[in-house]
Amino acid sequence: MRHGPLVRSLVRIGAMASKETIHIRRDPRTLALALAMPLVMLFLFGYGISTDLDHLPIAFADQDQSEASRALARAFDGSGEFRVVTRRAPGEVEPLFRDGSVVAALVVPRGYQDDLVGGRRTPVQLMVDGADAVVANQVLTKADAVLRAESRRLAGAAFARLEPPLSAALWTRYNPAARSALFMVPGISAFLLAITAVMLTALAIAGEWERGSMEQLFASPVGRLEIVLGKLLPYLVLGLLELQLVLAFGAMAFDLPVLGPGWLILLLGLVFLVGMLGQGLLISVVTKNQMVATQAAALSAMLPSIILSGMIFPIENMPLPLQLLSRLIPARYLVHGLRGVLLKGNGFDVLWPDVLAMALFAVAIVALATRRFQRRLA
Amino acid sequence: MSATAPAGLAITARGLTRRFGTFTAVDRVSFEVEQGEIFGYLGANGAGKSTTIRMLIGLLQPSGGTATVAGHDIAQRPDAVKASIGYMSQKFSLYLDLPVMENLLFFGAAYGLTGKALRARADELLERVDLAGQGEITTGDLPGGLRQRLALASALLHRPGVVFLDEPTAGVDPVARRTFWRLIRELAAGGTTVFVTTHYLDEAEYCRRIGLMVDGKLVALDTPAALKKTWVPDRVLVARGRGLAAAAARVRATPGVRAVAPFGAALHLRVDPAALDAGAVAAALTAAGAEAVEVEEAAATLEDVFLAAVARGGQGAAPAVVGAP
Repeated sequence: MRHGPLVRSLVRIGAMASKETIHIRRDPRTLALALAMPLVMLFLFGYGISTDLDHLPIAFADQDQSEASRALARAFDGSGEFRVVTRRAPGEVEPLFRDGSVVAALVVPRGYQDDLVGGRRTPVQLMVDGADAVVANQVLTKADAVLRAESRRLAGAAFARLEPPLSAALWTRYNPAARSALFMVPGISAFLLAITAVMLTALAIAGEWERGSMEQLFASPVGRLEIVLGKLLPYLVLGLLELQLVLAFGAMAFDLPVLGPGWLILLLGLVFLVGMLGQGLLISVVTKNQMVATQAAALSAMLPSIILSGMIFPIENMPLPLQLLSRLIPARYLVHGLRGVLLKGNGFDVLWPDVLAMALFAVAIVALATRRFQRRLA
Repeated sequence: MSATAPAGLAITARGLTRRFGTFTAVDRVSFEVEQGEIFGYLGANGAGKSTTIRMLIGLLQPSGGTATVAGHDIAQRPDAVKASIGYMSQKFSLYLDLPVMENLLFFGAAYGLTGKALRARADELLERVDLAGQGEITTGDLPGGLRQRLALASALLHRPGVVFLDEPTAGVDPVARRTFWRLIRELAAGGTTVFVTTHYLDEAEYCRRIGLMVDGKLVALDTPAALKKTWVPDRVLVARGRGLAAAAARVRATPGVRAVAPFGAALHLRVDPAALDAGAVAAALTAAGAEAVEVEEAAATLEDVFLAAVARGGQGAAPAVVGAP
C-alpha cells in the first residue's frame, strides 16, 4: 500500500511523537518534574512568598493610662494588622527592637486624653524598626490607616461636623484583598511552564545526541522538521496539562478566579509553550550534551521568567534598559496576559498584543533552531 | 556531476575524499561492491572506516569524489539513498528504555511501514534473530549480544538492499559474535549487500572481499586468500624446542631468513620460500645450539596481512611479490 508524501510525513511525525510519549511514560522522573514539581512550587510560592503582612507584633508604651489611650491600643489590636504583645515604658523598647520581638512601638504621651477632650492637636509617637524596609513600609501604611480610622471615630463622636473637606476613598479592584497569591499564580504558571518546557525538550533532544541515536535518525528518511515536531508535540501536550493543573490548584487553594474565557488561557499557554520548546530545542542543538543543556536551560528559562517577567518585581520600577530587555522575554507577556484573563476577565480584543508578541518569539526561535539543526553531522 | 551505477553493483565509490580542516580522514578511496556480497572494511581506529560509511549513507558531505549506493548518487539523491539502506551505527544500539517491540515499531514507522504490515514484519524479524516472544522485554535488560541482533533487526525492517554495519560486534562475546555473523551470512545469501567494518580479523575471514584502510587510504582490496598471498609471500614457520632464544639471534643472520620473533615458548620465522624450507630451518637452529627442534609450516593469517600493511604505512601500493614460483 503506497501513501502520498504528506501521509508518509505524518506517519514519521507520529512515530517520533509516540516514541517520545513512551519515553516520558517510562521515566517517572520526567512525569514528576512536569506534574508534581509545579504543585509543590505553587504551594511554596503561594504561601511562602507572601507580600502580605498581618498581626505585626508591636509594643505599647502608655504614659497617659487613660480611657482614650486604651481605646487607641484596642484600635491597633483589633485591626488584625497589629498585635500588642507587650506594654513597656518608652525607655525599655530598645532591647525589644534588638531581639526582633517587635517591629514597632506605639508611644502615647501624658495628657493625650486631656488634649483630645480639649480639642487640641495631639501627637502620638510610632517607633519603627527600619532594618527591613519592606516591613517598615507596611507598618507605616497600616498604622496610618489605623490612626485615621481612630481619628474619624473620635471626630464622629465629639465633633461630627468637623469632617475633613477632602477625602480620597481608595477602592482596589480585581484583587480587592490585595492577596499576593492571586497576583502570583499567573507569574508562577509562566515560570513553571518555562522551566519544564525548556528543560524537558533540551534534555530530550540532547539525549538523542548523547546516546548516538540522532545519527541513526539522520540516516533514516525522517526529516529534521519531522524530528522537531515529533519531539515537541508530546511536551506541548504535557505543558498544557501542567498549565491546567496549576490553574486548577490555584483555584482550589487560593480561590483564584477565572473571569475570562478558557480558550484564551489555552491560546496564551500554547503560543508561550511553542516559544519555550523552541528555546529548549535551540539549546540542545547547540550544546548536544545533557549536562550543559540542563544548566543552560535552567538559567535561560528561570532567571528571565522570575526577574524580568513582572512576576515578583514590577516592570515599571526597572531601569529603562531592563524594561526594554523584558520586552524580549515571552514570560512577561504570559504573566500580563494571564493576569488579564484570570483576574480582570479580559478578552482577546485586549490581550492580542501579548499573543502576537509571544507568537513572534515562537516563530523566530523555532526557525533559528531548525536552521541550526543540521541533518548532516558536519 | 552525477555518477551512474552499473547493473549488479550495490556500491561504487570514485575518489571519495573527506577532509576535516587540514586532516584528511578519507583520501581518494575507490571501490565497488557487488550485490549480495559481504564486503569487509578493515582498519585501525581512526583509519577512516566510519567516515567512509557516513559519506556513503549521506551523513557527511564528501570533500571530493562521487559515490552511488543502491543505484542512487549520494550527493544528488541522499533521501533515496536513506530510504533504500539499513544502517547500524557504531555507538547506538537502540532506545534502551523502550520495550523490544517498541524499538522495532518506531524504526519501522520511521521508514514508512504502518499497521498490520509493520507488526507482521517486526514479528518475522524477531523470529529471525531468535528473539521471538520477547517483544515486551525492556531493551536495556537484554545482554549485549541480543541487543546487537535486535539492532540488526531494526535496520532490516524495510527490506533494504544494502546494509551498512559499523563495528556491529564491538564489545560482544565470541559466541554472540559467531551467531551474529551467521545472521549476516544468511542475509547475504538472500541477496542483501552487506558493508561491514570490523577490527576483529577472524571475522574478516567471513567476508567475500576485504578493503584495508590505513591512515585514510585504501591500501588493499581483495579476497582474504588473495590478500594473504600478496601481502605475506614469505613462508611462515613455527619452531619448538629447547634453547631457541639463544639460537634465534644466530639464525637471524642465515641467508633467506627475513624475520624471527618469539611467540610464547615457540619461535615464529618468516623465510624466503625459494631458499629455505622447514627441514633447512630445523638444521640451522640445531647448528646454532638449540635441542629437540621441531619446525612446521603455518598458514598466514589476516593478522599478518594487517601488520604488514600497517608497517608499510599508508604508502598505497601493495608489495611486489617476491620469490613467487
